[in-house]
Amino acid sequence: MADKDKKKKESIFDLSKYIDKHIRVKFQGGREASGVLKGFDPLLNLVLDGTIEYMRDPDDQYKLTEDTRQLGLVVCRGTSVVLICPHDGMEAIPNPFIQQQDG
Amino acid sequence: MAAVAATNPSQLLPLELVDKCIGSRIHIVMKNDKEIVGTLLGFDDFVNMVLEDVTEFEITPEGRRITKLDQILLNGNNITMLIPGGEGPEV
Repeated sequence: MADKDKKKKESIFDLSKYIDKHIRVKFQGGREASGVLKGFDPLLNLVLDGTIEYMRDPDDQYKLTEDTRQLGLVVCRGTSVVLICPHDGMEAIPNPFIQQQDG
Repeated sequence: MAAVAATNPSQLLPLELVDKCIGSRIHIVMKNDKEIVGTLLGFDDFVNMVLEDVTEFEITPEGRRITKLDQILLNGNNITMLIPGGEGPEV
C-alpha cells in the first residue's frame, strides 16, 4: 500500500510531444475530431484549435467526408476520449478480411 | 504535483479555457446527438455545468428542440466537447 501512495498520478503517455501538432481524436459515441493540440491535463482533457468534427451517420457508416463541421477552439472532455493519434498516422486501406468467400 | 506535471505552465490548460468562458456563450456537444448552447455561469471539478438562457438542439431530427430559460444544471457525464463562444448548429 505504501507503493500506491508514492505513485500518485503518473501519466503513461506524454502528450507534450504532440503540442502544436495536428492530431485526430475519437470519442465515445462515435464522434471524431481533428485539430491542433494546444493544451491538455493529466485527466486527458484537451484543447484543440482549428477543430474539424466528423460525424458518423447510419448511412454514412465510416465515410467521414460528409458532415464535417468547423468548430474552432474547443475543449475535449478526457472522460469521453477513447483514442488519440497523429492526423497523418492513419490511412484508409481496402478491407483485409474479405477473403472469406472461398471454401 | 511537480513530479507529475508532464504539462508545462506555458501551455493552455483545458479547464482554464472553460473558466475564461464564464459569463459568455458556450456550445456544449454531448456524446449523443444533442447539443446545448447557453451562457456559462459556472462548473465544477466534474465539469457539471450551470447554464442560463439555454437552447437545446437535437441534431438528427433536424431542428431546434426546446428553449429553456432560467438556469439549468447540465450533468457532465455525457459532455464530449465544449466550444467557447459557439452559437450552435446553424439550422
